[in-house]
Amino acid sequence: MPFKLLAQLAWRNLGRHRRRNGMLLAAIAVAVAGVVLLNTMLRGMEGEVREVVLDNLTGHVKVLRSGYLADPGIRHGFELPADWQAGLDAEALRGWAARLRVPTVVMSERETRGAQLVGVDPAREGISFIGRASVVGEPLAGAQDRRLLMGRALAEQLRTAVGRRVVLVTQAADGRAREVGYRVAGVYESDFAGLEKVFVFTGAAALQETLGTTFVTEVSVRLSDAADERQQGALADTLGAAFAGLDVLGWQQLEPQAAVIVEMADFGVFIYFAVVMGALVFGLVNAMATAVMERVREMGMLRALGMRPAAVVAQVMVECSLVMALGVALGLGLALAVFAPFADGIDLGAFDLDKSLAQMGMRANFVPLMTAADVVLVAVLSVALGAVASLYPAVRAVRVPPLAALTGGRFGAAGQRRKAARTDDAAANSAVDD
Amino acid sequence: MTEVGDVVACRALRRTFETDAVPVHALRGVDFDLAAGEWVSLAGPSGSGKSTLLHLVGGLDRPTGGDVAVDGVSLAALSNAALSDLRLRKIGFVFQAYNLVPVLSALENVEFILQLQGVAAAERRRRAKDALDALGLGDMAGRRPGELSGGQQQRVAIARAIVTEPVLLLADEPTANLDTGTTVELLDVLRDLNRSRGVTILTATHDPAVMSYTTRRVNLRDGGIATE
Repeated sequence: MPFKLLAQLAWRNLGRHRRRNGMLLAAIAVAVAGVVLLNTMLRGMEGEVREVVLDNLTGHVKVLRSGYLADPGIRHGFELPADWQAGLDAEALRGWAARLRVPTVVMSERETRGAQLVGVDPAREGISFIGRASVVGEPLAGAQDRRLLMGRALAEQLRTAVGRRVVLVTQAADGRAREVGYRVAGVYESDFAGLEKVFVFTGAAALQETLGTTFVTEVSVRLSDAADERQQGALADTLGAAFAGLDVLGWQQLEPQAAVIVEMADFGVFIYFAVVMGALVFGLVNAMATAVMERVREMGMLRALGMRPAAVVAQVMVECSLVMALGVALGLGLALAVFAPFADGIDLGAFDLDKSLAQMGMRANFVPLMTAADVVLVAVLSVALGAVASLYPAVRAVRVPPLAALTGGRFGAAGQRRKAARTDDAAANSAVDD
Repeated sequence: MTEVGDVVACRALRRTFETDAVPVHALRGVDFDLAAGEWVSLAGPSGSGKSTLLHLVGGLDRPTGGDVAVDGVSLAALSNAALSDLRLRKIGFVFQAYNLVPVLSALENVEFILQLQGVAAAERRRRAKDALDALGLGDMAGRRPGELSGGQQQRVAIARAIVTEPVLLLADEPTANLDTGTTVELLDVLRDLNRSRGVTILTATHDPAVMSYTTRRVNLRDGGIATE
């Protein structure tokens, strides 16, 4: 049977019960829009959590000496090989940074706090939050800079400020405690007070000199924004070869809690899709089964005229899929209309959610993310579900015998009983003609 | 034996409906032939078996015993799909309730069956128009069934039935829903088809007007042929 004929019948049949079909289309549209919008929210959350983790001095892949995570200090540092970058695919990289990161105690004239002292080359920190942080005072001038860059929250705790001096105590390479005075060059601000309290920065070369070492404690490498997990795996392999004997860890291993949140976002979308579309499918099945049973005589007529059972199944499936496809198209339009005003971000700080979000590693300005792949996936899955949902009404339709066209829809056991009763009565009184 | 020229041959045809109480024997071993070019009316009271015989001849129902052959093809061994094909290519149906597809125009309803046959678009459009013209509905081709009177709808149904040039036209109470004037008009159309085109017609009816038009009348009673 020509598909064109099936499509024509399906399209025309949509107009037969406009109110019912309109409500069905609206239900599908709202469900699809809900799934797509929730998807954008969860994808946005996923992207946000990943971005914050990558920004947080982690990068996609980090090289560490074994034992550093349990006992971070210069004892677990390593020498940077001269040719370690040889195998890297420069085009896939956003950048890299070698750092010297040690625990320290920061003392002002009024307060004392524990922190992480990080020796950096400012020119390489475009891959982390500190490279883009706003600074009151002056940023570090280079790897030789002996001044200190301190977070605003820590500065407030220490009750110190730009231009003043603080003393840092840390352990040098020889194992002795080293007490060094630093002038606060600048106070940085980040989206998270936790970062401001933990990290203080100085020049990497200057810190190496202070601690009496040529070691670094970590190399952080960040891929370009378009990179995927496959490229991260390739990067880890390359670094593993370049830094034999050292640990090469992905951000998922370094920040497992964030990795779980990202994985849960995928799972959450799937669960929501399954629940919403599952409920919708039952509605669709019910509506289509009702439509089929309302057209028993017509189905019987089609069978009587010579439409094959497979063509009847195809007709119902095309009709059902068309309803779903139209609903999906409307739903995607609705989702786009709702999404567009928030595409640049939603200020959740206005709802007093900024602290809760910060605990989840997210910033208050939340940017939902709609990807073509997700939209296509939702659309394809929805239409496929529609086709599956049509099987039950299609089977009911194909069970309509051609005789239904002649008996006004009475068929099956009940119909035959009625017919038999009539036949019986008539046989008993065959002279009576109606 | 099927005679040469027989369009329908029924032999020892039986149909029993199993009910919860007792089996109902709608046909009890009917032998019936229909020659090419005939117009036969099946008459008889309700429950006499005329509709059951019509259904069996049309391949819409399967007999409990015996056999039906249409245009030399025994229906007993045919699958449901093969029966569908046979109905599509050899039999035209005219139903009591017209049974047009309500979302299609008159022309599309007639074209529809040609589409099922896989006839090319231009040819089916021409044949459908010719069929409607022949039944005096050329200017109503674009109307949907809901915009046509009962008589007009039944004419469209006849156009749909004959457009495929079937060997047999089955009509189940074709005038039951029509007034007297429209009934006469419709019967004139059927007689013209029978006489001028040689269409073989089998009609189940209660209507004496229909019986007066047919070339042969078969009376059924209690599931058997009473008189011819």
